[in-house]
Amino acid sequence: MARGYRYFEAIEKNAALLGVLTLVMVSLGGLSEITPLFVEAHTVAPAPGVEPYDALRLAGKDIYVREGCYLCHSQMIRALRAETQRYGQFSVASESVYDRPFQWGSKRTGPDLARVGGKYSDAWHVQHLVDPRGVEPESNMPGYPWLAAASIDGADIAARMRALRTLGDPYTDADIDGAAKAVAGKTEMDALVAYLQGLGVDNEPRPDAKASEAAPK
Amino acid sequence: MSPFWSAFVMALIVLNLGITLFLFLWAPRVHIPTLADGTSGHVWAHGVLREGIRPLPVWWLVLSAAMFVVGFAYLALYPGFGAFKGLLGWTSHDQLARAHAVNDARLAPLTERVRATSIESLAGDRQAMAAGERLFVDNCAPCHGRDARGNQRLGAPNLANGIWLHGGDGATILASIADGRRGGMPSFAGAMPDDAIIDVVNYVESLSGLPHDPLRAQIGKRSFSTCAACHGADAKGNKALGAPDLTDAVWLYGRQHATLVETVRNGRSGVMPAWRGRLSDDEMKLLAGYVHGLSHPAVTQP
Ligand code: HEC
Ligand code: HEC
Ligand code: HEC
Repeated sequence: MARGYRYFEAIEKNAALLGVLTLVMVSLGGLSEITPLFVEAHTVAPAPGVEPYDALRLAGKDIYVREGCYLCHSQMIRALRAETQRYGQFSVASESVYDRPFQWGSKRTGPDLARVGGKYSDAWHVQHLVDPRGVEPESNMPGYPWLAAASIDGADIAARMRALRTLGDPYTDADIDGAAKAVAGKTEMDALVAYLQGLGVDNEPRPDAKASEAAPK
Repeated sequence: MSPFWSAFVMALIVLNLGITLFLFLWAPRVHIPTLADGTSGHVWAHGVLREGIRPLPVWWLVLSAAMFVVGFAYLALYPGFGAFKGLLGWTSHDQLARAHAVNDARLAPLTERVRATSIESLAGDRQAMAAGERLFVDNCAPCHGRDARGNQRLGAPNLANGIWLHGGDGATILASIADGRRGGMPSFAGAMPDDAIIDVVNYVESLSGLPHDPLRAQIGKRSFSTCAACHGADAKGNKALGAPDLTDAVWLYGRQHATLVETVRNGRSGVMPAWRGRLSDDEMKLLAGYVHGLSHPAVTQP
């Protein structure tokens, strides 16, 4: 087998070749783990009951992203008992088809919010966002009092809905034309609370649906 | 996973494991030309170091071989090789269901006791009270407070003082928890001139001995007939409507004059969320027992 040594010698003496071959081997894992899910992502169909965000909740979702709530809150209940018992049914991909960008997150300074909708009253959310320690004395969540005074630009929301439609979200002309009216007179606080109250409420997997059916194939 | 992507993943795995296994088996057998001094002739660091030739250590060979064995076994037993489900048929959903089953079995004695006991008697069960307290802190404390003494910013009532808006028997507490409640104090801003509102608030203040203007209270008493429909002619409240007793010096929203005026002017609607669906029947019963026990300590201490 004396001749085989030539190949080892060639690789050992040629740093570029060594680099390229290393890269090929290292990328195999990523190619098999990431590519299929990445390419197939658009085939995930919305779970029953999952609708595109209405104008007010869409505004709220963008405020959620703007304020960086995702830095402390995930929206991803994992299939572990400790999580399903505390937060409810585990999250599946078909629930977040209209989230751009998705808010799964991985940082939990505060609790997961995937199914927080309906857990508290609107009044609680307002109190909590203005002054978290007024309702949770030991909370380290920052307050967001300015949201209650900030208004929403209806034309801007309509433009965002139009942009989302070009990406494939099924907004109708009526939805977009009605956007300005739907957010008229609303504050950013109203929008954020509407968004929070909608989380996991209309899109909870049906209890009778088998878990394997709800999961992305 | 579609057949295409399944084949794609399988091909990559075969390629990866094939190359590494081939190298693992072949490389040690390759003859390395050796010079008379026992080195390969490669020099490093400007001739200071020369490359010796040694067989691979046994521990390294064994460890690498073991990794191949583990890798192949994993792909055979668990999902990973394309769409192949693995011989064990393992899924994370089944694992979750098993974890729940194990936990349910651990709690079974408590669950059976809770099902067989009335809400009012649960307070005598230490373990049930501990579970109830845990559930209360997790779900109810954000509004009612850890100590259940309520929060006037939200109109969340004190649940520990034995004074009830809707009722303090087990069944009513359970109904409050399962289906939620919504306070319905109407706004009188349109129906009454502001002066009359201040008058009637003075009357309300007089009922529980708060500082008030007796003359205005006298006038206010006359318009209280509007309020009596819900709060009762004696202002002692009406549990069927969730209208609070206005004579007991216990306040949902606070006893400040401005707060009372705001209540009558703008109305109030404290919302208690419904927990059916979010909590199981057993959990709601544990909570009802815990809440009932808060104001019935005689039963709590056996
Ligand atoms: C610095 C980290 C941090 C940031 C940023 C943050 N939160 Fe929180 N949040 C927390 C913590 C900690 C809690 C738990 C204590 C509490 O309820 O205040 C919490 C609790 C919550 C809850 C109650 C969840 C439950 O189930 O009880 C909601 C709703 C919430 N946050 C919404 C938001 C929103 C909306 C934003 C952005 C505007 C935000 N948070 C930003 C840390 C954070
Ligand atoms: C979003 C805040 C909020 C949360 C969370 C909450 N409550 Fe309430 N609760 C209220 C309010 C507000 C009322 C008063 C409703 C009314 O005005 O009729 C109330 C009323 C009640 C009552 C009726 C009291 C009476 O005097 O008749 C009970 C019992 C109760 N809550 C128990 C619970 C329990 C148990 C939990 C946890 C599972 C809980 N609450 C969680 C806000 C809350
Ligand atoms: C339709 C029935 C109804 C009528 C009429 C009504 N109330 Fe009420 N009132 C309620 C209910 C229900 C609540 C509790 C609100 C809540 O739980 O959020 C309440 C709460 C209040 C409170 C707050 C008590 C506290 O503990 O903070 C005051 C004060 C009050 N009412 C005064 C009045 C006065 C004065 C009138 C007449 C001008 C009146 N109410 C008429 C149903 C009524």
